[in-house]
Amino acid sequence: MIVTTQKPLDELLDFISPYSNVMVVGCDGCTQPPRGIREAQTLAQLLQLGGKLRKKEFEFRVNTLVKQCDSHLTSVALRDMLDGGVDAVLSLACGLGPQTIARLYPDVPIFPAQNTIFMGAEEREAGTIEERCAACGECVLGLTGGICPISRCAKSLLNGPCGGSQNGKCEVDPDKECAWALIIERLDRLGRLSDLEAIQPPKNYNTVLRPGKLSP
Amino acid sequence: MSEQVAEGKAAVKIKEDSCSRCIICISLCPFDALSKDVENDKTILEIEKCQVCGLCYSACPSHVIDTLHYDLNSLTKYLQKAKKHYASDTLVVMCKGSAPDLAGIEKLFGVTKFIPLTVPCVGRIPEDVFLKAITMGIKKIYVLACDEDYCRYDSGSPVEGRRIMALNLMLAQLGYGKEAIVLKHSSLKVKVNQELCIGCGNCVFYCPWEAPSLVTPGAVKVDMDKCHGCGLCVSMCPAFALDLDNWEKDRISLLISQLAAEMAPPKVLVFCCQWAVFPALDEKPKNNIRYVYLPCAGRVDTNHIVEAFGKGVDGVLIAACSEDDCKLEGAGGKIQRPVAALQERLKQAGYGDRLSFCTVSPRYPEVFTRELAQFSKQIAAIGKEVPA
Repeated sequence: MIVTTQKPLDELLDFISPYSNVMVVGCDGCTQPPRGIREAQTLAQLLQLGGKLRKKEFEFRVNTLVKQCDSHLTSVALRDMLDGGVDAVLSLACGLGPQTIARLYPDVPIFPAQNTIFMGAEEREAGTIEERCAACGECVLGLTGGICPISRCAKSLLNGPCGGSQNGKCEVDPDKECAWALIIERLDRLGRLSDLEAIQPPKNYNTVLRPGKLSP
Repeated sequence: MSEQVAEGKAAVKIKEDSCSRCIICISLCPFDALSKDVENDKTILEIEKCQVCGLCYSACPSHVIDTLHYDLNSLTKYLQKAKKHYASDTLVVMCKGSAPDLAGIEKLFGVTKFIPLTVPCVGRIPEDVFLKAITMGIKKIYVLACDEDYCRYDSGSPVEGRRIMALNLMLAQLGYGKEAIVLKHSSLKVKVNQELCIGCGNCVFYCPWEAPSLVTPGAVKVDMDKCHGCGLCVSMCPAFALDLDNWEKDRISLLISQLAAEMAPPKVLVFCCQWAVFPALDEKPKNNIRYVYLPCAGRVDTNHIVEAFGKGVDGVLIAACSEDDCKLEGAGGKIQRPVAALQERLKQAGYGDRLSFCTVSPRYPEVFTRELAQFSKQIAAIGKEVPA
């Protein structure tokens, strides 16, 4: 899941204040926490409340899209939604949504309502979403017992742990678990501790030269 | 809530001196709040365990149990007034746990003109109430109880069912017809609009009974036998794919609009779990305070709260049951996280301190009165910054 946090309302009000007819559009795709129609409606109402205190009245149109990062789906759905004209669009999707819309509708100002922070897994009981994949382009989970050292180790080490691993915690942030301590524990449980004797060569970051592109 | 304040103000009390020690109350209490002190030959009420269902009150043959809510006296007074007000000789008694809106009642019992009486659990209605109603000239009585497996008080619905059966036998002998009191059961259930489901899994996670399941992405299914109708999944659904039957989101929105329009400033709207606050039958709230009763605090919808502010409400108070008192497996408490997140967002919008959450119980009605007074004061002090 792509994890996002909400931008402060002041920042959003600064974005949209020059406009009156604003479309707030959610995304039903993979954003987590969900940023669908409920969130879009709440945001529009909150912005209306905040606007009132700034003596600014908006005309909001509230919608949601299946997945804003799909250019075709978004183009088809937005065609109807933008009918009649809007001055600006505020997108609740991750960073991909506003970019897709900007490309499809070059004349419509588009603003992000979210900050996109990482790819995460939802830990429901704890009520948290935690980073678990760094999209490094060369997955090492097969070597590390299913625990990702790239996203979960502060130093993204391939041959860990470092000397800063203290009682299973990370020296960078003692609240966080040392990914390598977890990897060792896991491989030990699987009877595969000897796998760690092989030294991993430096990671090839050529696999993720930006901007990444996947062609058929 | 300190013991000191609570003392003497609890909603249920036993008049020890007149107690006949028959132990009917002890045998009926679903919460083990009543017990026998063998040594001193006394019936003991542990008020902290009491959930104020009123079963002991309605069952006590010696009338030694007092209750602050919906006792014979207030129910009789209500019936007398309501009979004139509604100009009807048909009475419909409903449990809050299962009651649909009045149109739903019309459909269910086939009656159009009737005296509505909504109570927290029909189990708290003593036989005397029905007999008084008949004496008053009420010709037909309908009772809507919760389906027995879904009674919020465990045995309130089954006990009243047996009571009504016995009463009907007696009334038939007296010549009041075969079924003087018509008893029906129903219970609140969620309904699904699969077309809107985005497959996020929130409902599956939050439901205390594992009623929803999600096998195919975006096509949630609900096992209605497991659903208890708390509405938590509805509040947590980001896609508006779920709703409570007879307690729809739009209906609550409409109610909020009506209440907001009739209130005087500073407008305080209270979203109450209907098991946390029992309103008095003839209660007339202050002209700046209105209540939205919900089947559980789990159905407190952050969207409805923002909506209320948008309609000119100055402050929103949420009154929920404590986790120990929650009748719906802790569903009510789960709403605290989204409410806290909304508090932060409201602060950003310039509406800080206008949303508050408290846990109360009908056990000590004064606690709620105090919380409400304090919150109203807070809202009055902030003043009318909210432009209408």
